[in-house]
Amino acid sequence: MKRTLLMFLVMFFAASVLHAQSVTIKGKVTSTIDGFPIVGASVQVVESGVGTSTDSLGRYEIKANKGQTLRFSAVDMIPATKVVGDALEIDVTLDATNQDLGEVVVTALGIERNKKNLTYSVQNVSGEDLRKSNQGNLINALQGQVAGAQISSSGGSPGLPSEIILRGSSTLTGDNQPLMIVDGIRVNNSSSNFTVNRVADINPEDIEDITILKGAAAAALYGIDAASGAIIITTKKGKAGTIKINGGYKTFIETMGRLPEQQAIYTTGTGGIYDEASGSSWGRKFRYDEPIYDNLARFFETGITHDVNMNVTGGTDKLQYYVSGGYRKAGSMVPNTDQDKISLLMKATAKLSEKISLTLSTNYVKNNIQEGLGGASAGGWINSILTYPRRYDILSYERPNGEPLYAYKEEEDDGRNARISPMWGVMRNPRNNNVERFIVNGNIDYKVASWMTLSYRLGQDYTMSKYRTVITPGTPSADYFTGFLSESNTASKYVTSIFNATLQKKVLNDFNLSLVAGFNSDYYEAQTIGYTAEKFLVPDIPSPNVTETNRITESQPRRQRYAVYGDFRVEYKNMIALAVTGRNDWSSTLPVNSRQFYSPSYSGSFTFSELFDTRRWYGKARVSYAKVGKDAPIYRTNTNLNIVQTVGGGFVVNATGGNPDLKPERTEEFEVGTELSFLNRRLNIDVAYYRRKSIDMIMTPRVPLPSGYVIMTFNAGSLWNRGIEASVNAIPVKTKDFTWSTTVNAWKNTSRMMEFAGDIVTFKYTNAQLNGGSAATTLGDPVLGIVGTDYRRTEEGYVIVDANGYPIIDGIERNIGNREPKFNIGFLNRFTYKNLSLAFLWDFRFGGDILNASRQRMMSVGTAYDIGEWRDKEFVFNGVVAQEDGSYARNTKPVVLDYTYFATNYYQVGTNFVETINWSRLRFVTLGYSLPKKWASRIGVSNLGIEISAQNPFVITNYSGGDPEVNSAGPNAGGSGASTMGVDNGAIPLPRSFSFGLNISL
Amino acid sequence: MRTIQRFFILFLVVTITVSCNKLDLNYNPVQPVTVPTSMRLPGIQANMAYSLYSQARFASYHSYYLTTRAGQSNAQTDTWNYNSITRMGAWRWHYFDVGSNIAGPAGMLLRAAEEGSNNYTGVGKILLALSYLTATDVFGDMPYEQTYSGSFNPLYDPQEKIYEGIEKLLDEGIDELSKINANAASMPATADLIYAGDYAKWRSFATAIRARLKLHTANFTNGYTELITTVNDAIAGFSDAMFHYPEQSSSSWEKNLWGPTRPNPEWPFADIRQDLVNSLPTDVFMKALTIDAANNIFDPRLLKLTRPGQNNKYLGAKMSEGLRDVNLPTGTTYQDFVRLDSAFWTRDNSPYPYMIKEELYFIKAEALFHSSDKDGALTAYRQGIEHNLRRLGIEDGVIINYMGSTKVAQSIDQLTIAHIMMQKWIALYLQAETWVDMRRYGYGTHAYPDLYYPRFALGEWGGRYIQRFVYDPQTEYIYNPKEIARLGAAARDWVFTPVWWAANSQLKN
Repeated sequence: MKRTLLMFLVMFFAASVLHAQSVTIKGKVTSTIDGFPIVGASVQVVESGVGTSTDSLGRYEIKANKGQTLRFSAVDMIPATKVVGDALEIDVTLDATNQDLGEVVVTALGIERNKKNLTYSVQNVSGEDLRKSNQGNLINALQGQVAGAQISSSGGSPGLPSEIILRGSSTLTGDNQPLMIVDGIRVNNSSSNFTVNRVADINPEDIEDITILKGAAAAALYGIDAASGAIIITTKKGKAGTIKINGGYKTFIETMGRLPEQQAIYTTGTGGIYDEASGSSWGRKFRYDEPIYDNLARFFETGITHDVNMNVTGGTDKLQYYVSGGYRKAGSMVPNTDQDKISLLMKATAKLSEKISLTLSTNYVKNNIQEGLGGASAGGWINSILTYPRRYDILSYERPNGEPLYAYKEEEDDGRNARISPMWGVMRNPRNNNVERFIVNGNIDYKVASWMTLSYRLGQDYTMSKYRTVITPGTPSADYFTGFLSESNTASKYVTSIFNATLQKKVLNDFNLSLVAGFNSDYYEAQTIGYTAEKFLVPDIPSPNVTETNRITESQPRRQRYAVYGDFRVEYKNMIALAVTGRNDWSSTLPVNSRQFYSPSYSGSFTFSELFDTRRWYGKARVSYAKVGKDAPIYRTNTNLNIVQTVGGGFVVNATGGNPDLKPERTEEFEVGTELSFLNRRLNIDVAYYRRKSIDMIMTPRVPLPSGYVIMTFNAGSLWNRGIEASVNAIPVKTKDFTWSTTVNAWKNTSRMMEFAGDIVTFKYTNAQLNGGSAATTLGDPVLGIVGTDYRRTEEGYVIVDANGYPIIDGIERNIGNREPKFNIGFLNRFTYKNLSLAFLWDFRFGGDILNASRQRMMSVGTAYDIGEWRDKEFVFNGVVAQEDGSYARNTKPVVLDYTYFATNYYQVGTNFVETINWSRLRFVTLGYSLPKKWASRIGVSNLGIEISAQNPFVITNYSGGDPEVNSAGPNAGGSGASTMGVDNGAIPLPRSFSFGLNISL
Repeated sequence: MRTIQRFFILFLVVTITVSCNKLDLNYNPVQPVTVPTSMRLPGIQANMAYSLYSQARFASYHSYYLTTRAGQSNAQTDTWNYNSITRMGAWRWHYFDVGSNIAGPAGMLLRAAEEGSNNYTGVGKILLALSYLTATDVFGDMPYEQTYSGSFNPLYDPQEKIYEGIEKLLDEGIDELSKINANAASMPATADLIYAGDYAKWRSFATAIRARLKLHTANFTNGYTELITTVNDAIAGFSDAMFHYPEQSSSSWEKNLWGPTRPNPEWPFADIRQDLVNSLPTDVFMKALTIDAANNIFDPRLLKLTRPGQNNKYLGAKMSEGLRDVNLPTGTTYQDFVRLDSAFWTRDNSPYPYMIKEELYFIKAEALFHSSDKDGALTAYRQGIEHNLRRLGIEDGVIINYMGSTKVAQSIDQLTIAHIMMQKWIALYLQAETWVDMRRYGYGTHAYPDLYYPRFALGEWGGRYIQRFVYDPQTEYIYNPKEIARLGAAARDWVFTPVWWAANSQLKN
C-alpha cells in the first residue's frame, strides 16, 4: 500500500514537471480482422497513466511527450504500443487475440476448458447478471438467463423453495434437479419439510459466475446425478494487486403481487341457506348493514428488507485472498415471517512453490427463516385465507390477553372445533428453520511437469438445520388443541474427495492430446434427532420441559459412493476435437450385485470456420452422446420395523418397504449443436438440440397395498425428453458512451412417458391429487400431465347436455393438460450510457397448463369470484342434446346455476380448472448510476454507485388466479413427490418488490 | 522441493485412504429388521381395531345409524359418491397395517416360523381371517392368492374364493392352537391384548368368525344346518373379542377412534376422520329406540348409546338431509337431538369390539328362523337382547320391563325377521357387520321396516342402494388397471354393484 502510494506520488510529480513539453497526438484505431474502426479502445500514455478512449469512429486524441509510449488496447484485441516521435498522427491496427472465443469455462470436476473446443453445450451466467436480478435465492436469479432451465418458485413467502429443471423432468418422484457444485464440491440443495432449497444459502454477492452443464455429456464425469445436468458455481477469488474494498447496501420494499379475486355478495351457509356454523360462503346475500372484509388486502403487508455486503480482495503473486461478509434481514409481505442471514467467506490461494499451489476456502452461513403457516406439504397454505368467510375480519384473531378469539364456536365446544382467522396460525404458530452451515474446501495443485498436473481436492459441506413448528394451545384442532411442538435437528455432511491427474501433450505440432484420470469419493451422512411434545402445561413456553408427553426419534442416513474416471481428448489444430469419457461408479445404496455401473460419453466438435482463413466469423458444430447412471435413495433395499405407540407398544412394518431387486437408473442423451459468431463477436448464437431418455427410473411412490407396503422404491419406467435451446448474445450498439448488449434465451422441451412397470397407465403424484384433478403422468403422453374428468362430448367435441339442460360429466379420468410450457423466452438487455446503466429481463411463456386447484377450492367453499358472478343466474349451456333418433340438437334449455349445479356438476369436472397460460413478465429492471471517477475520488472513494431496481413489477397473463408461476409442493416435496410445477394449490403469489442500492469501492 | 513432493504424495495417500468408507452401509443403524413375535402381536391387534373402525366409519352412515348434520355435505355419506376420494383407508388398514404385519414380506408369521412359535402362527392366522372377512365384505373381490407376492398388479380373486381362503386360515389357526410346540414363545397378556394367551378362547373366536362367514352365504348355499352347529359351538366357549384402551391416557394412539378427542394418530386419510360431533342420529335409529314417542318412553339403551342433547329433545334426522329436512320443526338445531359422542361405544376409553357375543345369539336366531325353528329363534333372539341390555348396564328391573315391551317379540307368532335384524342392528351399534346384514336383505323394509331411499343420493344412481366401497383410488386404479377394468370398478356407479353374497342373496324380499 505504502509503495503504491509512493509510486503514485512520484509519477504524479513527474507528469506535472514534464507537462510543458507535451504535444497532442491524434489517430484512428482499426481492427485487422475487418478493417472497421474499434470503438472504445483505450489509449494510454504508459509513463504518465493518462488515458482516453476512441470514439464511435475509432478516433482518439491524447496529449503526450515525445519519447513516451502509447499503449492501445481493446477487448479481445492484442494490445499494441507506439513510441511518440515527431508524427502527430498515429494510426494503429489491432489484431484480435488468438483466443477469439477464448473464454475459459469450468466444466465437470472443475476442469477448465477453452470454450472454443468444448464438445457439448454449456451456458455461463456472470455474477453481475445474477446480481442485477436482486434475488435472494440464486436459483430464482437464474430465471430467464439460461436456455433450457425451467425454474419455478413455490411462492412468495420467505423460505419457500424453488425448483430448477434442466431439459425436462426426468423422474416422477424424487429429485429432478441438477447437481449443485460450489467450487468443485457437491453441496446440499435439499428442501425437506418444504423449507428453502439449501443452495439459497450461498450469498449471490460472492458468485463470480455460474456454469450450467445442461446435458448428460457435459456432466458425464459426475456420473451419478449427472442425469439432470449440473450447476457449477464458482465463487470470487482474490486478485493480486492493491487491496480493494467493496461495500454495498440494498433495501427492498415488498408488496403483494397478483392475487385471485373473491366474491363479495354471499355470506356463510350451505346450499343457499344461511348458517352461521358453516365455514362455506354458500349462504344468502350479505345484508346492506353487514360488513364485508377485504381479507386478502388486509392480510398481506409491506415487507422491508435490508441487505449489507462487504468484501476485501487483494494479495501478491504468491498469495491472493478474498474475504466477504454479508448480512440480510428480510421482511416479507406475509405477516410474522422473516429471514435473518449472515454469510462469511474467506478464500486464499497460495503459491507454495513454482509447482505447487494451494487454495483454501471456508464459507459460513447462518440462515434463520421464520415461515408462514404449516401444513403445506401438499400445497401452499393461503387456501385458508382465500376461503375464509368475508363476514369475519381476518385481523381479529386474538383477545387482548393473547387468548384465541374464535370467529365461531358452538356452545359446548371448548374451541377444538371452532373457527378462527388464519391470522392466528400465522402469528401464533410459526415455523422456524434455522440453519448454520460451514463449507470448507481445500485444493492443492502440483504441476509435476509442463505436461502433467496432479490435483487433490477435499471439501465438506456441513449443515446444521433446526426445523421447528409450534401449535399454540387454543388453536382449533382435534389433536393439538392443548398445544403441540415438533422440532428436528439435523447435522448433515457431504464430504467430497477428488484426485485428478491431468496430462497434456502436443504431438506432431498440430495435435493436442489430453487425459484426465481421477478418483472420487463422495460421502454423505446425517443425523437427525427430533422430538414432538404435546399438551403444554405452561401455554406460553413451547418447550418439552413443560409438556405432558414427549417423544424422541432419530434417523441416520449414510451413503458412500466411489468412482474412477477418465477423460481423453484429441484436438487437431483448433478445428477438430474428439473426446471420450468413462466413469465407473460404486454406490452403497444399491443391492450388492448391481451396485456398480459404467457411464461413457463420446463427443466431438468441428470448428468449420477454421477451414476459411477468416476471423470475421466463427462457426462450430458439435455432437455428443452419453449414457449415465443414477443410484437409489438411501436404505431402500431392506425393510425396517418401527416402534408403535398404540396400546401394548411393540413393532410394526415400516410403511416404506425395501426392494432387494433395485437396479441403477440410466439416462441416455444425444445432443447436436452449433455455435456461431459474427461481426467480430458482436453476435453470438448457440443452438442445441437434445434427446434424452431416462430408463428404469427409480421412483418411490405409493404402491398397491396388497404388496404389503405403502411406499416402495422400484424401477418404474422410462420416458424421454426432447428439446431445442437457443441462446443469442448480441451487442447491437457499441459506441464510446453507449452500449447495448442483449441476450435472448429461448427453449422448448417436450416429453413422453414411454413405458411403465407392470400395468400402470396413469401415475398420479401423491402430493398433487386434488379435487379438480391430479398432477399425473400418462403412458404415451407428456410427462408433466394433468389427469381429471371432462364433460361427455360428441365426436366433434361438443359438450353433451342432458334433458334437464345440464352438461353431462364423463366420469372416466383422462389426461386433460400438459403443465410444461410450449415455449419460453428470456430476454435480457443491458444498456450503459456513460455512467448510467440499465438492465432488464423480460420473460415470456407460451402455453402450458395450470391446474388451478385454488379456484376449485374457492368455488366449492363459495368464495370464488365466479360464484358471485354466476350463482343463481339463468344460463343456457353451450352444448348439444341427444335426440331419440341418435342425432344431436343444440341445447336451448335455460337452467339456474344453483348450489346443486356447482356442487354436483361444475366443480367435479377437471377441465373446468385447467387453464392454458401465457405470460409476459418483467422479471427485473435495474437502473444504476456510478459517480464519475473524478467526483468519486474527491470524496475519497474509487467508485460510488447507486441503483434502483424493481423485481417482478408486473406480469401480463391470461391466468384467472394469482401469479401464474406456481409449484405447489416445491422441488422434491420431501423426497416423495415429483415436480408440481404448474399446480396452483393455495400458492402464495410472487411479490412485487422495489429496491434501492448503494455500492462503494475503496 | 523434494520434501514437499514427498509430503504431497504422502498426504494424498493418507487422505484417500481415510476417505474410503465401506460400501456396505445401506442398512439403517437405528431401526430393527426383525423383533420377537411377542413384540409384533400387540401392534397387529391395535391395528385390527383401527381397521374395523375404518370400515365402520362409512358403514355407520350407509347402515343408517348416522347422518351428517349439514346434510348433502359429505360426498360419500350423503350422496353415496365415492368418485372424488383420494384414498380409501380401509384398503390400507387391511392389507398393510393388519395383513402385512401378519403375513407380509416382513410379517410376524416369518419370525413365528423361525422361533417355532406356532401359537403366534395360529393367532396370526385367525386375525388375518377376520381381517380378510371384514375387508371382502366391504370391497367384494380382491387379491388373495397373489397378496404379498411382490406383484404390483395381482389378480383379484372372486369373493367366493376369498371365503374359502378365510375358512382355510381358520382351520389352520385352530389346528396350530390345538398343538402348541413345546418350545413356542410364551404369549403373556402383554403380547395378546385380547385373550391373554388363552388358546381355547382363540379357537372359539375362530369358530365365531366362521359362523359370521357362514351366515352371509347360508341363505343361498343351503347352509343353515351347518351354521347352527357352528354357532352353537362358538357360543359354548365364546368370550367377547374386545380391544381395550386404557381408562386414562394422554396419547392419541391409546384412544378409541370413536372417542370425543377424535384421535388422529398420524395418518392422512382425510375422510377417515370420525365426525360424530357434526353428525346426528337418524330417524331410523330414533324410531328403533323409541317405545312411546308421545310419552317420551325410550329403549333403556338409548341413553347408553347416546347422551341427551342440550334441549332434551329426541328428534331423528332424515338420512342424508340432516338439518335440511324441511319436516323438522322450525328452528331445529343440533341441540334438539341426542349427542352421539362420549356414550357407551364412543368414549375415548370404550373398548373396540372385534366381535361381541350378542352377534352369535342373533346369528343363531336368524339361522333358526330361516330353518323354521321359531322357538329356538325366539329364545336366541331374546338372549341376544338381554345380553346386550346387560352389557350396557341396564338394571334388572328395567330389563324385565323392556323385555316385556312391545318392542320385543313375545311369541313365535309375533316374531318376524325384522325383530331379529333390528335388535341385532341395535346391539351391534356402529359395527360394519350390520351393513352386511342390511345388504343381505337388500335394504328391504321386511327386515328394516323404517328404511327409505336418501333424498340426496345422486340421481345418477337410479334409486339403487350403496353396496360396497371403492378400491383405493390412489394405488389400485393406478397399478392394476386391467383388473379394475375386468371388474368394471372404474365405473362411477361401481359401489352400487352388489358383492357376491349380496347378489346371490335370497333374502332380499
